[in-house]
Amino acid sequence: MAGDKRGISRRQFLKATAAGVTIGLAGYPDFLTAAEEADLAVISGEPAAATRKALEALGGIGRFVKKGQRVVIKPNMSFAKTPDFAATTHPLVVVAVAQACLEAGAREVLVLDHTLQRAELCLERTGIRDACRNMPGVHVLALQDRKFFQEIRIPQGKVLDRVEVLKDILDSVLISVPVAKSHSATGVSLGLKGLMGLIWDRDSFHSQFNINQGIADLATVIRPQLTILDATRAMASGGPGGPGDVKKPNLIIAGVDPVAVDSYGVGIVPWYGRNFKGRQVEHLLIAHERGLGQIDVEKLKITKGTV
Amino acid sequence: MRKTIQALSLLLFTAFFLLATYRLPDWLPADIYLRLDPLLGINAVIASREFIARVLWSLLLVGATLAVGRFFCAYVCPLGASIDFLDFPFFRKVRRGDLKTDSRLRRWKYFLLIVIIAAAVAGVSLAYLIDPIALLTRFYTLVLYPLTIAVVNLLLDLLRPLSQGLGWVGLAHLHYPQPVYYMTALTLVIFGAVIALNRLAPRFWCRYLCPLGALLSLISPLGVFKRRVNEECNRCMACQKACPMGAIPEDPLKTRGPECIQCRECAGTCPQKAISFPVSFSGIGEYSRFDLSRRGLFTSLAGGLTFGFIAIQNPFTLLQGRRQLIRPPGALPETEFLRTCIRCGECMKSCVTNTLQPCLWESGMTGLWTPKLEPRMAACEPNCNVCGKVCPTQAIRSLSLEEKTYARIGTAVLRKETCLVWAQNKMCLICDEICPYNAIVFRPVEGYRRPVVVASRCNGCGYCEQRCPVKGESAIVVMTDGEIRLKEGSYIAEAKKLNLEFKPDPGDDKFVIEESGFKVDQEKQKEEKLPPTEEPAPQKPKGFL
Repeated sequence: MAGDKRGISRRQFLKATAAGVTIGLAGYPDFLTAAEEADLAVISGEPAAATRKALEALGGIGRFVKKGQRVVIKPNMSFAKTPDFAATTHPLVVVAVAQACLEAGAREVLVLDHTLQRAELCLERTGIRDACRNMPGVHVLALQDRKFFQEIRIPQGKVLDRVEVLKDILDSVLISVPVAKSHSATGVSLGLKGLMGLIWDRDSFHSQFNINQGIADLATVIRPQLTILDATRAMASGGPGGPGDVKKPNLIIAGVDPVAVDSYGVGIVPWYGRNFKGRQVEHLLIAHERGLGQIDVEKLKITKGTV
Repeated sequence: MRKTIQALSLLLFTAFFLLATYRLPDWLPADIYLRLDPLLGINAVIASREFIARVLWSLLLVGATLAVGRFFCAYVCPLGASIDFLDFPFFRKVRRGDLKTDSRLRRWKYFLLIVIIAAAVAGVSLAYLIDPIALLTRFYTLVLYPLTIAVVNLLLDLLRPLSQGLGWVGLAHLHYPQPVYYMTALTLVIFGAVIALNRLAPRFWCRYLCPLGALLSLISPLGVFKRRVNEECNRCMACQKACPMGAIPEDPLKTRGPECIQCRECAGTCPQKAISFPVSFSGIGEYSRFDLSRRGLFTSLAGGLTFGFIAIQNPFTLLQGRRQLIRPPGALPETEFLRTCIRCGECMKSCVTNTLQPCLWESGMTGLWTPKLEPRMAACEPNCNVCGKVCPTQAIRSLSLEEKTYARIGTAVLRKETCLVWAQNKMCLICDEICPYNAIVFRPVEGYRRPVVVASRCNGCGYCEQRCPVKGESAIVVMTDGEIRLKEGSYIAEAKKLNLEFKPDPGDDKFVIEESGFKVDQEKQKEEKLPPTEEPAPQKPKGFL
């Protein structure tokens, strides 16, 4: 069984390094069919402790990060809001993930986002830069200039055939660390929607084509090795920018399958005062139907825990 | 020695200029050079007919000049230093003889001073145009600063392959947002002219034009240090040639008191070592009286008043407040604002989003270089209140972050005819997404959820206008309607009086459910159909309860 595990990781590792972002991977990702570990870890508790426990439950960060690799952590730090607004990822979750990566021997850890508001303000207000200040090898960067982006093709794209993504994700292990929040165009903004923080032009998603199709297109080329949803707080309305109704689910939901993580995340709080399932979120349904992940929570093997 | 002090002063000026930026600590007066300038202070006080506390700082310079003399021009003035330092590369090889018109030109600075004061009496702020500190700060903001950032970014780009190769992650990703401004060219031309005039005579600007120099020279003869030439003098006239201010007349034993800036170039040059600057309490020498002709005095006085009349008595004044010109948060009411603002550009430099831009003709002759917001380009950031902090005359009041939130600069107005949602049924929400005050809500109208501005929650920051994806003019624009501009008193109290609340009120967004990415079962949807909220409530005539 242990050998099995390692095999999967190596295959993923090769995919990540040799092919950059796994482009054009058809059908179900094989981690869904082969994984012995839980599909999802759902841990209740304080941000840092719950994050560490969730990583353990998935078999340890070593499954995803190998010695000498470069890791890109993609939190949501797009808004110049303090953590209590739940518009951005909790700094302690980011720190816990970064710390784990360092312990796994990561060469360097880049915490990156293409922020909506001025970079300086976002770095300051979200608290993420301060939280990572004393961690050698961890760099918190908000990038707002086109020169840091590079165009890649989207072979399976329905509405997008090419997109400019942050260069740094092309040769790194990508760990997505979104926050759970509502979104007035896509219902919720979790892991998949959060990937829009890695691309240059987002306006066209809102003005030129169906944003839900666009997100699914993006999910075919930007495939985080791991998604850790910070639902320690959840902005149940008023998202994505807030201010909104902040609930406290106190949960960390982690998994390899981004659709599964998001789908579980849809069920944890009522959004805009009503309960929804993953299948009711258009972009998740599209992603599921295009084989990007499992939307039905009942079909997932879930490890729950409390710290 | 003098060059060193000058260089230090210019450096200090530059340092304070650079410090005028987001997260400026409250205690740090980044606008200190401007505050020390008595001309800007007097001009603002007279023009606005208001007491301005920050202007009291200029008494420091007035006091020092009274005590010591006109040392400011030689040692402190950053424009003087710039002129001196640029003299070397540009004009070092130029032979500059005496200007025949020297004594007549010399009066010009006094005439200009009179014009400025007269215009201020008429209610027009004019000092900004030629006050050295305002002029240089403006040049720094609109020309030098953007240029510097561009050069720094270019160097970073050149270094990038190296920093990437060496794994210097921070440096490899470093990039400074490029500030851009209107009026850069015009500002450069004016500064260029000030420097170019040196071709005619050293420190041409300081000798003949600078109104601050004129003001200081009026009180400088009382200073204790005075030039003295002893009997060793052999009238070689070397000192006269060396004097950058032309303060030494045909008789080298004498000194034109008001013109002397105590740079001591003469003492350094004198082959006989006959010149010293001892402490002296004696009165003012014969060359110290001001020989302004009566005609010149009268003409400049009339000129200033006439300018004031022309600048004020025109349609621009009547149309003040009816124009689409968004002023910075905390700006005084328009008339007072125009009279108080000294167009130094500190607010534009410090603006974290670069939305503050200088006006050209938008509010007429009295509004040149005044700051306005350009929301289509950038918004006013809710977490920033630096523009008021660095305003030396408090034309933009320095407000706490909380109070600044209530200093409403306008109201967003949605243009349904171009809005993607209203006009084309597209699923756009960017204005709502970015609005920091949740002032945009969605209402179900004709089967779609559509954005609506809740005016009582909008403080005009302009994020919506900036981010609207409609090409060309934004489908949601900030209009001056509803702006709050107070000369004094609390913005918070005023906003509360008007029932404005720029705080979270998330409950209203429940209308978003339909058509918002959630697939609601058709049957259920019918059951739970939300009542259309824009259905007109039965209205009673105004005044009835």
